[in-house]
Amino acid sequence: MDETFSIELDFEACKGCGYCLETCPENVFDPGPEHNAKGYRPPVVARPNSCLGCRSCFMVCPDFCLEVSRVPD
Amino acid sequence: MDGLFQKYLRPKKIPSTACSGCGLGQVHKRVLLAIDGLGLGVQDVIWGTGIGCAGRQTFNAWKGDNFAGTHGRVYALAAGLRMALPKEKKIVLTVGDGDAFGIGLKHLLHCARRNLDMTVIVADNFGYQSTGGQFGLTTPPGAVTDSSPYGLSETGWLGPDLDVLEILKAAGATFLARHLSLDGKPSVDNLKLALLNPGFSLVHFIFPCVTHFGAVSLAERDKPLILSWFKSVFNPAYGQDRGESFQKLKDRINPGFLKLKRGLYHDASGSRPDYSELLKAWTDTFRPDRAAPKEPGRAGSGEGAEP
Ligand code: SF4
Ligand code: SF4
Ligand code: SF4
Repeated sequence: MDETFSIELDFEACKGCGYCLETCPENVFDPGPEHNAKGYRPPVVARPNSCLGCRSCFMVCPDFCLEVSRVPD
Repeated sequence: MDGLFQKYLRPKKIPSTACSGCGLGQVHKRVLLAIDGLGLGVQDVIWGTGIGCAGRQTFNAWKGDNFAGTHGRVYALAAGLRMALPKEKKIVLTVGDGDAFGIGLKHLLHCARRNLDMTVIVADNFGYQSTGGQFGLTTPPGAVTDSSPYGLSETGWLGPDLDVLEILKAAGATFLARHLSLDGKPSVDNLKLALLNPGFSLVHFIFPCVTHFGAVSLAERDKPLILSWFKSVFNPAYGQDRGESFQKLKDRINPGFLKLKRGLYHDASGSRPDYSELLKAWTDTFRPDRAAPKEPGRAGSGEGAEP
């Protein structure tokens, strides 16, 4: 059975650098429409079902605001 | 935010005050992953720093004991702590290139000479960025900075025929490694080895400063593009498919010039004694009352020691 993953992006803690968007091999993220309280525009998790769980986005994110976890079957 | 960061960091300090896209957080994350991977807790690590971007974002985010030294002096403070603290306590220092390889270099060399058990993480942003982007001891030659408007004319501690890690090795450091802040498991593995070495360890991380080095020296504001330039520091062939805009960055500063060695640089873990241990044993010979009791009831045990 295929594994599924959940990607949690903390909207207020994100600084909108765009590294996750650039790095994800499966194009899971899209540029986001809204600004957070600090004035940054976080990406949105648009296609969570495409996630492979490679954690590249987590490793490239310079802030502690992105987490990838496996959804238990 | 996940359990790992709730476990080790103060929620008030996250998000840090680092600029958006600053690679420092990538370094910070890898250090925490190594600490967690070794099963160390908040009580096991004392976290110190010098000054600048690298320090102020990291040391007091640590939930456990932490301290800030003055610029370049944190190694001397850590040396004192090493003599005073029990062996099990790990000392981790996150410092910048200016702190370690500039003003603090001599203190650093003496810690290496004594092989004092500590792990120094040099988070290198290629210059003095927290003061507005002046060149430093690791700025690539040719770089236009706030203090080198016509391009940097000299070579610092990083160059094709000069490497500061070689100096540290000659000074007696027992573990040395170098990574990019983007490196994955190999960097975490080397950080673990550094933490486990019962002597002086240093891991040099090159990370992107997007605000000064990126915007001024590379004259680029697109953060993912700046990140790509850093990927080509260790791999000059990287990014050939990224087109003209990326080529422009490579033409501004040729990333291959440094010819730096990536990954493990020197591992002589455990090959030399840690001077703090020798010193403790030596002073004990003069102060037998302070020596650790060898058998119950002996002087120093705190029970009926006085005649
Ligand atoms: S874990 Fe990998 S595939 Fe999933 S969102 Fe992150 S980068 Fe994309
Ligand atoms: S990498 Fe992290 S900080 Fe940057 S946009 Fe993605 S979630 Fe936000
Ligand atoms: S000035 Fe540069 S190194 Fe300092 S926090 Fe900003 S991006 Fe990072």
